[in-house]
Amino acid sequence: MPFAHQAAWNRMPATRAAVTAGLLSLCGGVFAQSNPGWQFGAVLDITHTSQALAQGSRDKGLQLGHSDLSAAGPLGAWFKAQVNAVVATHEGKLEKEIEEAWIQTKRLPGGLQARAGRFASQVGYLNQQHPHADDFVERPLLYRGFLGGHWNDDGLRLNWTVPTPFYLMVGAEAFRGKRLVEEVAGPARRMGATTFVVKTGADLNRSHSWQLGLSHIRNAREALIEEHEEGAEEAEHEHEHGHGAAFSGRRTEMVDFTWKWAPGGNNRDQQVRVGVEFARITGLGSAFTSADKHQARALSAVWRFRPEWEVGARWDRLRVRMAHDGDIHGGQLNERALMLAWKPSHMQSLRLQLTSQRDAVEFENPARRSWQLQYVLAFGAHGAHAF
Amino acid sequence: MPSDRGHGLRRAALACAALLGSCLAGPTWAFTVFACEPEWAALTRVLVPSARVHVATHAGQDPHHIEARPALIAQLRSADLVVCTGASLESGWLPTLQERSGNPRARDVFFAADHVELIDPQPGAIGTPWAGDVHAEGNPHLHLDPRRLLQVSRALGDRLIKELPAERAAIELRSRAFEAAWRQHLADWERRAAPLRGRRIAAQHTTFGYLWHWLGLQQVADLEPRPGMSPTPGHLQRLLEGLRAAPPAAVVVAPYQDPRPGRWLTGQLSSGAGGARVPLLALPATVSESAAEKELVQWMDGLVRELLQVVR
Repeated sequence: MPFAHQAAWNRMPATRAAVTAGLLSLCGGVFAQSNPGWQFGAVLDITHTSQALAQGSRDKGLQLGHSDLSAAGPLGAWFKAQVNAVVATHEGKLEKEIEEAWIQTKRLPGGLQARAGRFASQVGYLNQQHPHADDFVERPLLYRGFLGGHWNDDGLRLNWTVPTPFYLMVGAEAFRGKRLVEEVAGPARRMGATTFVVKTGADLNRSHSWQLGLSHIRNAREALIEEHEEGAEEAEHEHEHGHGAAFSGRRTEMVDFTWKWAPGGNNRDQQVRVGVEFARITGLGSAFTSADKHQARALSAVWRFRPEWEVGARWDRLRVRMAHDGDIHGGQLNERALMLAWKPSHMQSLRLQLTSQRDAVEFENPARRSWQLQYVLAFGAHGAHAF
Repeated sequence: MPSDRGHGLRRAALACAALLGSCLAGPTWAFTVFACEPEWAALTRVLVPSARVHVATHAGQDPHHIEARPALIAQLRSADLVVCTGASLESGWLPTLQERSGNPRARDVFFAADHVELIDPQPGAIGTPWAGDVHAEGNPHLHLDPRRLLQVSRALGDRLIKELPAERAAIELRSRAFEAAWRQHLADWERRAAPLRGRRIAAQHTTFGYLWHWLGLQQVADLEPRPGMSPTPGHLQRLLEGLRAAPPAAVVVAPYQDPRPGRWLTGQLSSGAGGARVPLLALPATVSESAAEKELVQWMDGLVRELLQVVR
């Protein structure tokens, strides 16, 4: 059986991750005794899906979603460190990985800040956010198609918060890029992907605030295009298990805009959050023409109508180019989602979501109607959330 | 025409550079304080009236539920000193602001809770999803005790002297003057509030815990089933059954809390056979964002007066 050997091979990194996570939590316990600034937490995500989505990360049926164990705290007066180990079931298998392990400066002068290790890139609005804080069960098609859902990678970051009366931050990151494009067509470079990000934002008055982000990814890793041969189907399936981006190219431009409204600024009672994200990828590789591009956009609106109740809708659109057997085809997928969430406290949430995928071209098995029920539980300390 | 256009471009570039320059330089330097809550902004103004003060929250907001908005990051970026409550009140948003602002001076926060003894500490309490917002350190709403507020003002004075050594004499003078005036008011409030001692009260959350503690009032019911969780019909029903026999003198909420659960409870209690009318009281949990000494006094005075009006 080729499968047995495959499975054993697949288990190895998982075992390594589990051992690392175990050692980390053990060290963490000892560490916390002498370093009171350290905080530990865990998040559990259990989701039931009636029908798996095309380009989705959730299996049909009951599934353990993005659940993590985390530790964060100071390393002396100058550094902060964070480690995050994730488990999730994917296609019936339990996957474990170290999602984050980084150190960051705390006291660089002039609004500068540096980070090194494995962490989520700050491109776009959602990428930096932990998935358990999302408003919907699945990330938008834009993230699922272009960033592997949640792009975290090994690299460096340097940010500068400009001393302006409004918020202005410019930042650059350099990553190995291996977790964005997993298999390359040519020789791999050491720093495969670099990003440049500008974020700005302010309050209009007590009730209204906004944020705008511009991101650019330069990716030197050209994705290997797999040949669709009959016999290779099974092996390829095992292969695609990874979490790299399904669609990639040399340059990615992203724009994100968020607007939030809460009457009198008291967002506990009531709040409306509207977010728009747009992404375009060009330079798709040697199999495409220079005019070919991938595009995606997501528009979401969420209304907290009572302190613990939220309702939201999202409209997603994905337009891509695909190359097989020397031909270039256009692929497309539209998705609409409606959700209702009950959050009795910020450590617990129950969400019901209805998603429908339409107008699919070149995407197999679109879900015309998929119901998802998600329960997220948080234990212990968890990091503060961003805007 | 081309030379005109060139001239225009040059002018535009100059204007841009000037604008950017002025943005970067900011207005003439003033000692800048970022206060997480308005009460600490007011104390800062008492001690250093010339300070530029940014206030992150206002009386109409629940201080547990603030978002790390871009505007707050920009304010923290410019701060020379950060003054907050501590005891995990700001743990959901201040760390993000510190991280995003990249301001090393925003790391050594003056936490009021480090300078007073907190009530209701729960050592060893860890957050579980069902326990609500548990503050293991104790109740963080310490500014509602005017004696503790005075302790904080003294500690804040010491910290401000460390930050502004040239102003030592002036800060000490203002600190002493404030303390003398506050002590006089304190004696007056305590004398007037004597009839409140031992009276029973219901309230939402532990927001006013220190006020009850100071005035000798007894909180016999919390509208929240668990700290930080909104009142539920089931919980309110249970409270009603328990309180019918001996209704509290009043039900107290903060302006940022939904008044409906309190309204329902007072309505039900008042319609009981006994006929005792139980008033609903919305008390301001803090001062306005522009407050200084005068308003701090007026606010505390108002709390005592309003309680005396309804609790008879």
